[in-house]
Amino acid sequence: MELLATRARDYRPPTWLAILRGLLGPTIVVLLAVVLQRYSKSLFADEYRVWDDVLLKVGVNVILAVSLNIVNGYTGQFSIGHAGFMAVGGYTAAFLSYYGSFALWGDTMPHGGFLSCVSEPAEFVGRFADTGDAWFLLVLLAAGLAAALAGVVVGLPSIRLRGDYLAIVTLGFGEIVRVLLDSTEGTLSAEEIPEHSWASRAHYLGGPMGFFGQPFYTTHFWVWLFAGVTILTAYRLKASTFGRAFLAIRENEVAAQSIGVSTTSYKVYAFVISAFFAGIAGALYAHQLGNALAPSELCYQKSFDVIIMVVIGGMGSITGSILGAVLVTALPEWLRQPTHVWHVGLAMILVALAFSRFRVSRTVVLMALLTAALELMRFLSLHYEVNLERYRMILYALSLIAFMLLRPQGFFGVYEAWDAVRFWRLRPRGKTAAVGATP
Amino acid sequence: MNASEDHIAAGAPLLDIRGLSLAFGGLKAVNEFSLALRPNALQGLIGPNGAGKTTVFNLITGVYRPDAGSILLAGRRLNGLKPHLIAEAGVARTFQNIRLFGDLSVFDNVCVACHLRTGRTPAAMTLAAPREDAPRHIAFRAARTGAHALLHMALTAHDLATVLLRTRRHLGEERAIRERALHLLSMFHLDHRKDELARNLPYGDQRRLEIARALATNPRVLLLDEPAAGMNTQEKRDLAGLIRRLRDEFRLTLLLIDHDVGLIMDICERITVLDYGQVIACGQPSEVQNDPKVIEAYLGEPMPHAE
Repeated sequence: MELLATRARDYRPPTWLAILRGLLGPTIVVLLAVVLQRYSKSLFADEYRVWDDVLLKVGVNVILAVSLNIVNGYTGQFSIGHAGFMAVGGYTAAFLSYYGSFALWGDTMPHGGFLSCVSEPAEFVGRFADTGDAWFLLVLLAAGLAAALAGVVVGLPSIRLRGDYLAIVTLGFGEIVRVLLDSTEGTLSAEEIPEHSWASRAHYLGGPMGFFGQPFYTTHFWVWLFAGVTILTAYRLKASTFGRAFLAIRENEVAAQSIGVSTTSYKVYAFVISAFFAGIAGALYAHQLGNALAPSELCYQKSFDVIIMVVIGGMGSITGSILGAVLVTALPEWLRQPTHVWHVGLAMILVALAFSRFRVSRTVVLMALLTAALELMRFLSLHYEVNLERYRMILYALSLIAFMLLRPQGFFGVYEAWDAVRFWRLRPRGKTAAVGATP
Repeated sequence: MNASEDHIAAGAPLLDIRGLSLAFGGLKAVNEFSLALRPNALQGLIGPNGAGKTTVFNLITGVYRPDAGSILLAGRRLNGLKPHLIAEAGVARTFQNIRLFGDLSVFDNVCVACHLRTGRTPAAMTLAAPREDAPRHIAFRAARTGAHALLHMALTAHDLATVLLRTRRHLGEERAIRERALHLLSMFHLDHRKDELARNLPYGDQRRLEIARALATNPRVLLLDEPAAGMNTQEKRDLAGLIRRLRDEFRLTLLLIDHDVGLIMDICERITVLDYGQVIACGQPSEVQNDPKVIEAYLGEPMPHAE
């Protein structure tokens, strides 16, 4: 018996403690999701009602970015096919919920309780959870599994590829999915459904126009529940043999093999785990009111959006991916009508200051400049009647370029937000830091 | 495992390499290389630049597949196995050009290597791993590969579940891994820098961290590729002490490449000399030192008028 294995057995905590520790994260996630669902409508004043919708989009993008980070950030495999997995999940879910709802209830309306209540106000109308909620949960998991299967299909041939070649394969996968979906035909109407068998219904997925008629189940509860689960999974993976193996592959494949990491297997695991959550994000996207579930929406453009989120936050950083998802989703919306510029700017400056140990670093200067520029532009738009909304995508692109120039490693680099504490401990103030050691 | 322990007890070598050959195109990088390492041996492998020393390491650790010959670890055939399975079988190595996980902390560099010995994968799984060069009927190989893959998937799903649900097993393992990593780091006097990124360490520390990482896989045979490269005299002296200590404390069998012949002569009990991929001498340091072939390989042929 190996010594380490004996120790590992001895060090097992008592069952009650393990259960308590294991349940802490999931409990917080569920509570947060329920609270958001209950109070989301009163979170924003009437004039900011649009932000309620943005908040949902942020949640879906958080799932996408954090899951892509497992492949691109942890494992260092450059995948541009995330939208493909999203499409596989989204269409599987839409297929199941549309045609499944019809089989179950004879119509395609939502049959959920409070958890899937889209109507206003989101109060306890009727039941807390209904059969529709259970069905939607199953649909979400099925979407995840379908995408995970696609992850195996993409992961296996990519074992021997790396860098640009892998990127091309994943890009190709996304395009194949898009073209296949384009070649389907319009969704069947309620009258037509009984005429077609289940197998032949798979041919009616909406085609280039997109899938119509699926019930809208996506609410703050489901989005933030799965965003929380994704973050929790990414976090727990990172602090385990799995995550360390992923990181080792990113750092040096030959060395990873030399210490017993099966690089081929772990690459596939990374793809499968990442695809699973992309599929769930796709399913949530598919059932959100106001989204078009169309092949043109889920093409490589979407993949690049997610990559931007991961890169901005810092490759390999969970908190970075979350921040990236929030920024990339909210920034274009915010630029429509920038409000609270000074509040947001000040918050960003403070975060940047905290990270550079209260010295004026490049990031701090960047944040201050951005704030000033935005305020100036807002001033101009107010007094010279410049339509800021028309130029918002230019502003958005410019701020991305400026950010990447000044901070190519992303906001958090390879670190997490909580690593800041470790750096403060590591280097007392005044001591010169080693090059590249501080984020 | 009993069979292999008996094998050792009978006085057989722990690592037995016979007739190992590898050609890159027309170039015979390694030709009929043989080496027998007794348990707890400390053997040196020297030779002029390009003699094929590192290629031998790459053959042993599965980076290259040999054209001919066999590598046996305690009677178990290693050639044809993938590098990570060879690591699991108990052969660890360091690299000539340091290959640390630069963007990971020093602590994580060691932690990542501890995963092999936590008692996760049943030994039978690794033993049954399909070899690339097994001369069997294709249907048999396919069936075996398939069965192995299925078992592997089931085990992985279970492992993933323990990680994601933070089961008792996972928590116990993580604590044991942390403890072992800290223990190894303190042995190498690296514990005070455990939170730094590996790439920010000074050169000598990086070399020692690489050895610590290799040791974390709990190997039976450790291959060190130029551990003293770029070190000054004092550091070399410390390294020599460290290598001796490692052998005694971890009951390791060591194979050592270095260009510093003085260091090799000082610490190794036996030395193998390679030139153009071929063993030209093997024996105790004093024997090798006076071997005319070795002198020729290092200094060139004696001039006719010198005779």
